Amino acid sequence: MSVVHRVRLPIGAVPMVEVGHLVEPAEVLATRRPPGPGVSIPVAAPLHRSPADAAECLSVTPGSYLEAGERLAEDRGREAVAPSACLFLAYDRDDGTALVAPLLANEPIVGHVRGEVSSIDDEGMEIRIGGALLEGVGGTGSAVHGELRVAVHEPGEELRAGMIDVGATGRIVVGGSRASAETLTRARAMGVAGIVLGGMLDKELRDFEASQQRRRQVGGVPGDFAVVLLEGFGKVGLDPGLFAWFRAHEGRMASLFGDSARVYVYDAGPPPTRRALARVGDRVIAHRRPHAGGAGELVRLLDAPRAAASGIAVRSALVRFEDGPIAIVPLANLEATEPVPGA
Amino acid sequence: MTVAIETELALLIDVGSAWAKASVIGRVRGRWRLVTRVAQPTSWGAGELHRSLLERLDATVDPRLTSRLDELLASANRIECHTARRPGRIVVAAVSRELSGGAARRAAEAAGWQVAEVVTLDDGRSLADRLARLQSVETDAWVIAGGFDATRSPRALEAAALVASARRRGSGPVIWAGSAELAAEVAALFEPEGCSTVGNVRPDPRREVTAPLREHLQGLLRTVVAREDETHLAAIALPRAIGALAAASGLRILAVDIGARGAISALAEPDGSFDSRIHGGGGLAGLAGVASSAARVSRLAGDAGDEATVADLLQTLRSRPASLPETPEELSATHAAARVQAGSLVEDAALGPLDLVIGCGSTIAGAPLPAQAARILLDGLRPIGVTQLAVDAASVLGPLGTLPDGEIREGIGLLAEDLLVPLGTAVVCRGGEPGRVAMRVTVHRPGWPDAAPVELRSGQLQVVPLARGQEAELTIEPGDGVTLGAGRRSLRVQALATGGAVGLILDARGIPIVLPRRGDDRRAMVVSWRDALAREPAPGVERVA
Repeated sequence: MSVVHRVRLPIGAVPMVEVGHLVEPAEVLATRRPPGPGVSIPVAAPLHRSPADAAECLSVTPGSYLEAGERLAEDRGREAVAPSACLFLAYDRDDGTALVAPLLANEPIVGHVRGEVSSIDDEGMEIRIGGALLEGVGGTGSAVHGELRVAVHEPGEELRAGMIDVGATGRIVVGGSRASAETLTRARAMGVAGIVLGGMLDKELRDFEASQQRRRQVGGVPGDFAVVLLEGFGKVGLDPGLFAWFRAHEGRMASLFGDSARVYVYDAGPPPTRRALARVGDRVIAHRRPHAGGAGELVRLLDAPRAAASGIAVRSALVRFEDGPIAIVPLANLEATEPVPGA
Repeated sequence: MTVAIETELALLIDVGSAWAKASVIGRVRGRWRLVTRVAQPTSWGAGELHRSLLERLDATVDPRLTSRLDELLASANRIECHTARRPGRIVVAAVSRELSGGAARRAAEAAGWQVAEVVTLDDGRSLADRLARLQSVETDAWVIAGGFDATRSPRALEAAALVASARRRGSGPVIWAGSAELAAEVAALFEPEGCSTVGNVRPDPRREVTAPLREHLQGLLRTVVAREDETHLAAIALPRAIGALAAASGLRILAVDIGARGAISALAEPDGSFDSRIHGGGGLAGLAGVASSAARVSRLAGDAGDEATVADLLQTLRSRPASLPETPEELSATHAAARVQAGSLVEDAALGPLDLVIGCGSTIAGAPLPAQAARILLDGLRPIGVTQLAVDAASVLGPLGTLPDGEIREGIGLLAEDLLVPLGTAVVCRGGEPGRVAMRVTVHRPGWPDAAPVELRSGQLQVVPLARGQEAELTIEPGDGVTLGAGRRSLRVQALATGGAVGLILDARGIPIVLPRRGDDRRAMVVSWRDALAREPAPGVERVA
């Protein structure tokens, strides 16, 4: 199976690959020279004009990229030029200077995915990935890649700090039902590339983000790190079927995009998929408390709307959960899990 | 012998971003009545909606029609509205976070845009960081603001230059909402037709004027993002229906719909004119990840668990918007979130006294108990004075608003009492001192013996039974320093109250509601208000908290 991933290219980026090129996760797809801190350079003075008059002599508009020595303004043979490659931002009519942002050294744009470049345009490039895509419900952090490593024994098991060891360095660690902010902090300190979880407390995730933000401000966070939650917020385990799929793909290369909650696993077969509107006989996952994360079989659809404990009366189903209990659950809170083809 | 019976059906469908609602109305003995309604997650699709309707109709209609239901439903007149397929994303670049930036952001949100990024020259970031943010953000449009009118602010030009530097030529419209003096210079930074100018959102240090930008952005949202028949957009249709209802009833009406993603408010005057706002981040999903929102919702709910639990729920509302609260705690938190968002809808609007407040959408109109819907409207909007409350339980207002002007009014007239479910009448006062009498209300019900006046102290909430269809004359005597919102403070106010599923709600909790600081006191107070509204009353017995 294959999926398409889009890499956005910022203004000024120069692609380093062509359509049809096979890229690796760490490969540079494009480069750009980002604008640095702004500086003022005189314009009116070299033209021997008043600041207001010199405005009429500008030969560039804000947003123009200039090479070193390129003309900013010209009047009767006199000219003001860019001292270095820069981005022209604004002209100050009061003091006759131009605000420019000198371009810094080339920065690489890394895609963090492996695949074939299928298209390139001004705004981005698309890469066809041979593998599976999992879309989660939330996450944090940038794009990372590494080999998958399953660190828990059960899909509902909490990922604890003690489960992160040197063997996890550079890997994407698959946990179970949650991880504390301390566990994430340790994982990051150990050089783990990213973490995939069934769920996590939103507060823990925010606490972790806040601590990382503080460390970034003092320059103490090397490397990238990402977390993706696949099932929900709170103590929610991975679906056992999905957990088994991860186990089957342990050691495969994967890419994690924390901010967009996406996981790509390369050379992987299709993962268990989900379908809204479950039917009798389906294996289902419940998404709201008190059954959040629970998997079971939909035994019967109730004939009439049924009121939940909250009082909301809706179409409901009888579900026999895999951990024992039988419960009536609103149909809207259930997703059917589709079996993996050929499994 | 079989008797052939004739009937006419119409199907009113409101497809929201998370839930789709459908109502079937039919001509019954010469009158159009609501026959049945269903609601389901939008992701279940039209086929399932049709099947559910057939199932419901089968159990409802004359047995002689059951064999023809499929055919009748297929040929029914279909009137549909829907939420825009995707939110419009906008970037705000301004001089000041507090003044121009804040005003532009509020205008954009009130026009239904999702603000993807705000960059201001006082945001503490370096120039390079600002540029990097602007260059990396994906957006449909840009707003630039800064400089007071009649001044020439170089800083405002710098904000415009930032956008000119970060934006790809022709990649999305730019709106200049800053100093009028700079309009031509700013426009010159962009390609011809690339930048349009509206009135300054901050013409001077003391005034914020967001209406021109908001109105421009509302129009832009429809042309840039919606690209579909705009009359079928719920954000257009619902206000049209409210305008028609106001004109037909001669009432001043506010309608609010807190959706999964966005929210709509529509304020209509008795002459039928209306002002509507679409709040891109005003839905239940909008509170997830917002600093302090979980704590606020937890405080307001009182019985929904701690901040961490509520934070998880808010994220669930964002990530799985079609799912439903199963536990009382999750429902309580969801309703508290709706109250917060309802409050945000009107926080910068001078509403004035209203005759009728209508709650629309699944969250309010689909609340399990009428008292819960009333509480979202009351606590969120705080309508001062004497106001009728109702819900659009069948979700028909949006679909009706897609009809041509004359037909909306006709549709409203045809549905008559099936249109809205009245919750009752609220009397909300402002001012007064804690513990002192805030208002004394005498309720005269035709056919009932005159009862003693009800005395309400500041902070109290009381419900007087008044069933649907009943009316009562009220004599309200505000206490010292207490007002009902009338222009002139009166010693005695006469008003008419109509009954409903909740009754007559006397509310002296003030505007805004102030909760005790101590957790136990706060929880006790919040729960007592909830119970006062929700208890099933013994006939004629008041409920007090």
